[in-house]
Amino acid sequence: MSTDASHEVRPAADTAAGRAPRNDDAGQQPGHKGGLRRKGLSERNRPLWMLIPGGALMIIIIVVPLLLGIYMSALNLDQYTLRKWISSPFIGVENFVEAVTDSPLLHAVWLSVSYSLLAMVVTLPLGIAAAVATQNAFKGRALIRSVFLIPYVLPSFVVATVWRTMLQPGGIVDEALATVGIHVGLWLNGPQTFWTLVLVQIWASWPFIYLLALSGLQSVDHEVHEASALDGALWWNKLRYVIFPYLKGPLALAFLIGMLHHINNFTLPFVLFGVPAPADVEVLPILTYVTSFQSFRFGLSAAMAFISLVLIAIPLFVYLRAVKLDDAETPGAKK
Amino acid sequence: MRFKSTTGLAAIVTAAALALTGCGSGGSGTGGGGSTNADGKVDGTGKTLNVLVGVLPQYPEQQKQWQSDIAAKFKAETGADVKFETFASANDELTRIQTSVVSGQGPDIYGLGTTFTPTAYATKAFVTLSEDDWKKVGGKDRFNQAALGISGPDKDHQAGIPFVSRPFVMAYNKDILAAAGIDKPATSWDELAAQAKKMTNGDTYGIATGYKDNYDPWKFIWAMSVQAGNPLVDGNKLKMDDPAVKKAYQTYFGWLTEDKVVDPASVGWSNSNAVAAFASGKAGYLMMTTATSIPTLDKSAIAGKYEYTLMPTIAPGETQSKSDSEAASILSGDNLVVADYSKQKDLAFAYIKLITSKEEQLNYQKTFGDLPANAEALASLTDPKLKPMADAAAKSKATPFTGAWGDIQLALLNVTVQSVPDLAAGKVDESALESRIKDAQNKGQASLDRASKG
Repeated sequence: MSTDASHEVRPAADTAAGRAPRNDDAGQQPGHKGGLRRKGLSERNRPLWMLIPGGALMIIIIVVPLLLGIYMSALNLDQYTLRKWISSPFIGVENFVEAVTDSPLLHAVWLSVSYSLLAMVVTLPLGIAAAVATQNAFKGRALIRSVFLIPYVLPSFVVATVWRTMLQPGGIVDEALATVGIHVGLWLNGPQTFWTLVLVQIWASWPFIYLLALSGLQSVDHEVHEASALDGALWWNKLRYVIFPYLKGPLALAFLIGMLHHINNFTLPFVLFGVPAPADVEVLPILTYVTSFQSFRFGLSAAMAFISLVLIAIPLFVYLRAVKLDDAETPGAKK
Repeated sequence: MRFKSTTGLAAIVTAAALALTGCGSGGSGTGGGGSTNADGKVDGTGKTLNVLVGVLPQYPEQQKQWQSDIAAKFKAETGADVKFETFASANDELTRIQTSVVSGQGPDIYGLGTTFTPTAYATKAFVTLSEDDWKKVGGKDRFNQAALGISGPDKDHQAGIPFVSRPFVMAYNKDILAAAGIDKPATSWDELAAQAKKMTNGDTYGIATGYKDNYDPWKFIWAMSVQAGNPLVDGNKLKMDDPAVKKAYQTYFGWLTEDKVVDPASVGWSNSNAVAAFASGKAGYLMMTTATSIPTLDKSAIAGKYEYTLMPTIAPGETQSKSDSEAASILSGDNLVVADYSKQKDLAFAYIKLITSKEEQLNYQKTFGDLPANAEALASLTDPKLKPMADAAAKSKATPFTGAWGDIQLALLNVTVQSVPDLAAGKVDESALESRIKDAQNKGQASLDRASKG
């Protein structure tokens, strides 16, 4: 009986046991498959086709013109040869040689880099200070934060036009300074133009640093504030050793993007000073523009543009390498 | 005026940005196609002619109206439609020309500023008119012959068909001249400076001009130099290092530094600032202006108190004209060119024939103020205010017809730009000026060398 019973039980148990795993299996199957699919999403069968629209646009808008530009830089392409530009004379590196030895290119590079660096060096503390000042809630903070962003959201063209009007000889700035007995001289011509450019660039771009610094500040965990308060850290020490490390990542990014933006900034100097630009603000984009569209030396100008591309690619490359390496280590870089 | 120049700049910047980022749109396809019947009337039924012209910022409504009127007339005549496109600046247009030239499609007809015509001609993308082609636009004789001066490098190779003239003149304030005891506006640059000195008093200045204008400075230097017998370009040689050029700069800068007859603030002025100063009655002479200043001046405090006259035609330091032609103004205005790639050239010529007819030219003049390029129409103008402009149109002299002119113009202008700080300081050092001119000479000559090879 017992055996019978056990027999009877066994199949039952068997079936139960057998069913159980089967059930399990059935229950797990979708989950398992799902797991596979999820795995597949991240590792295999990536929906690479989704890259096609963006990739195609990139190719049409960036890669093709870039390659054409590089090819153009090896051609003697000007208004005389433009019509059959594909067959215009191939002159190899002559354009590059002329750009470096017989054009104001190196001067322009120097101006571009120094003006960008100066503007960045001034805007960094300004932006950080503004971010720290508006970090804690106070009455009217929202308003102040919005006002801070005005220079950033204004189109470059508007900024430059307004400043140009204000800085005209006998303009509002001269008049205001004259009331306190300061006579600066010309803002929009001559050696001071360099400083005018730096000044206006600072005005226009510090909110960008402010924005990124603010985002860095907001990523500081609440516990960190508490911990440093418990440790009795004074405000400066707290800023210096606790908060600033969080800002390193965003600010490095801000520095890099800012530099690239300044070096590439065409609108601001173009609208402020016009062309031909005073020699002290003939920055890279202006020089490239004049070479192309006033002198019609498209080949030479393409060579200049290529040189500036290489120039800005260097810090970009360094930065990209840097973020990749200490991805997880820098406290500010994660999150 | 301020607003206008701002929007103009906006357009320039936009165009430039587009050009720089390489987003210039490809030329739009030409409508229609097929063969055109060339004998007698051109039959363009079912075809569309594309025309690219400069935007007239002062007359947006009128321009649209004119375009639809002329399109209706053209349709009645040939059965073809006209589609207009506008550009806001030479840069904007250049971008269009570039894309069209490279792709071989785009507008059939382009309107070009005169000084831009040599550059466009150098691209070889436009039809050089044959004797036969000239007949199709109504014959060479129908045009003011002076206006043909910048249509091509020589009489047998002309691509630009004159459409309107916009000669430069100066305006003077009759009251201020009378108050200073001057009965007749100056005809030599020396006389101009002397008269200006008499009129300068307090915040009223003898001359209003903008040293920071993007075009005016080179026009002064060119004019004074031509009047002294040096047309700047002699074959493949640039003659910017000629004493006449230095004298021209010294005269032009001297108004500010020596004679003190211009507002010191004008180192930062463009032409529109000078017009504003003159319009407020603070200047005796307004230099380098065109008929386009009439609307502004007629609405200003000096309405009815000003008149136009020719700018001086006797070079600085001279008492009579040295040059064979008087060169009262650069040859200024608009030319029309027909694209070489156009598949409906006869239709294009028919359109040009229509808009350069006497009747249409007078109609255009009435609406926009630009002088007719049609000789008969020009001769029939009776408005006394237009008389000096018509004179200037007849006494205009073309700037040298070379693809290098853009560079030369830029080099001439650059001398002024780099001298502005000295100007503001009240003294332009002679050796500094010489070195700037030398620099301009080298750059311009290099460009001329390329042109002669091109």
